[in-house]
Amino acid sequence: MPEGSSAIEAERLTKRYGDLLAVDGVSFAVQAGEIFGFLGPNGAGKSTTVRMLTTLLEPTSGRLLVGGFDVQRQPYQAKRQLGLVPEESNVYTELSAWDNLMFSAQLYRVPRGERERRAADQLRTFDLYEKRHVKAQQYSKGMRRRLTIAMALIHQPAILFLDEPTSGLDVQSAQTIKRTVRELNGNGTTIFLTTHQIEEANQLCDRVAIISHGRIAAVDSPERLKQTLESVQAVEVAFDRAGPGMEAVLRGLAGVTEIAKQGDKWRLYTAEPPALLPLLFDFARQRDLRIITLNTLGPSLEDVFLHVTGQKVGVGTGGGEGEGVGGIGMGKGMGMGAGMGQGRGGRRGG
Amino acid sequence: MADSEVARGATVTIQVRDESLLERIVAEAAQAWAIAVKDVRIYYLTPPMIMFGLLMPFFMFFSFSVGRGLGAETSVARMLALTTFFTASSAGPVILPMERRTRTIDRMLVAPLSLVTMLLGKTLVGTFFGIAVSLVPLLGGLAFFGTRMADPLLLAVGLVGGSLAFSALGILLASMPAESPGAIMMPSTLLRWPLMFISGVFIPLADMAPWTRAASYISPLTYTQDLLNWAVIGAGAQSLTLDLLALPLSLALFLVPAMKLHDVSRRLGY
Repeated sequence: MPEGSSAIEAERLTKRYGDLLAVDGVSFAVQAGEIFGFLGPNGAGKSTTVRMLTTLLEPTSGRLLVGGFDVQRQPYQAKRQLGLVPEESNVYTELSAWDNLMFSAQLYRVPRGERERRAADQLRTFDLYEKRHVKAQQYSKGMRRRLTIAMALIHQPAILFLDEPTSGLDVQSAQTIKRTVRELNGNGTTIFLTTHQIEEANQLCDRVAIISHGRIAAVDSPERLKQTLESVQAVEVAFDRAGPGMEAVLRGLAGVTEIAKQGDKWRLYTAEPPALLPLLFDFARQRDLRIITLNTLGPSLEDVFLHVTGQKVGVGTGGGEGEGVGGIGMGKGMGMGAGMGQGRGGRRGG
Repeated sequence: MADSEVARGATVTIQVRDESLLERIVAEAAQAWAIAVKDVRIYYLTPPMIMFGLLMPFFMFFSFSVGRGLGAETSVARMLALTTFFTASSAGPVILPMERRTRTIDRMLVAPLSLVTMLLGKTLVGTFFGIAVSLVPLLGGLAFFGTRMADPLLLAVGLVGGSLAFSALGILLASMPAESPGAIMMPSTLLRWPLMFISGVFIPLADMAPWTRAASYISPLTYTQDLLNWAVIGAGAQSLTLDLLALPLSLALFLVPAMKLHDVSRRLGY
């Protein structure tokens, strides 16, 4: 598929259930060969959009193109391009993994001689080969999820829709799925990924659309989205001990807009992290505290998400994305040493 | 993967290999067969299928026929009509709501096949079930009661045609937007029971009151029972040609509204 042209296009897509407006005039285009994330909280309209894109649900209005074919007027041609991993793992639990894959291969007209080879490949990829003849009802949730994905890949679709692929899975299964998504994309498959896991979108997606209350609030690459929130930067600091009244004093430091305690760390939100650092050193020196960790953090995708969905950024946004990875220990009242840590969500060192 | 691709303006169009109408028909027939085989493997021995498809027709027969001095041929013809009717029409109302609830039906709806292909595949499941169960009274009649068949070929046509039509009736009933087998099975039972009493199964068509006889024409069971009477006994109450034409017509009349109901489900999000 030529890169740079749209593999999926939605134009003023709307779905209404009676009085409930589930999807409200959504428009976007997914470039061929990219991983496009559809990020939003539960009930935002992600799965409804996927069901419309994959012909399962009729839109109330709007236009949809998949692989260049109008989903409403040419569903058969559109369906020949796509594979779907739905939110629920819809494998036939009464059948074995092998029989599930054989049935999928027959549904997608995989040539007879190819079916067994592809099925074996998929089962090995997803670490299910040893249990290929065991009925899926005996599988764990993660195994069923992996089988669902394997079934969606048996016909090697050009466009793959993944609806919450790793939701509720153990770390190992989630990693296997993420690795597979990257490999598929590396081989040219266009991926449409819906997720409510911000870090997953941050790690996997070339571009992300943030959907809230049925509307798209922002579309861009994760890093560019973060750049839109220049004002949301933070300094994360941990001291060797806690003292009385620390929060009030830290909150009162010049430039601090918000403060959040996260475990043994303080996260101080500010527009100017460099200006805050000397104040923190003074603070530590005056109270005879030792700085254990000091990180500067840029805005995380979670901050962007909270911002565009109208929630308050900077309070209670702890989580994986903004965690520092290079914190350094510092002596009492000492100046900042070399190799200052920088948060993964950040763009500059202190 | 697609065989070749071309860009059209800003939108990529993935060109898939052209296929002739005949190629598509052959491919979709294979898909319908795959759906039928899968359903047979999964659903034939489920409790609702055994209850409504296997036990119910025998229960109905023994409730309304035993001790009434019917001849062996009449009993076999009646039993054959009941088994094809109840058994074949039970498959759809069991399978479709279950597949809707587990979302496995989405697999077929997303696959490159037409809706009618999927419904025909599902129709075959009930058809096989109806034919298989009807072999029990047929073989029992032949083995233990010395029943003779007036026209074996016509019998085969009646069993296959009747099972197809009744299975399609089950698909129509099951296509109502609902996810629970109970929500489908209850109204379908309420519909099927009255049909038995206006179709010449328990009361011969010739003995019916004029209004009941008029109503009998709307029931597909009427034509199957009469066809099986022609096949087993060698005599029927209405034109054999009418019986033979009614069954394929019923198949079409049931599948077309079933497709419309699936469109409604697609709109409502079931």
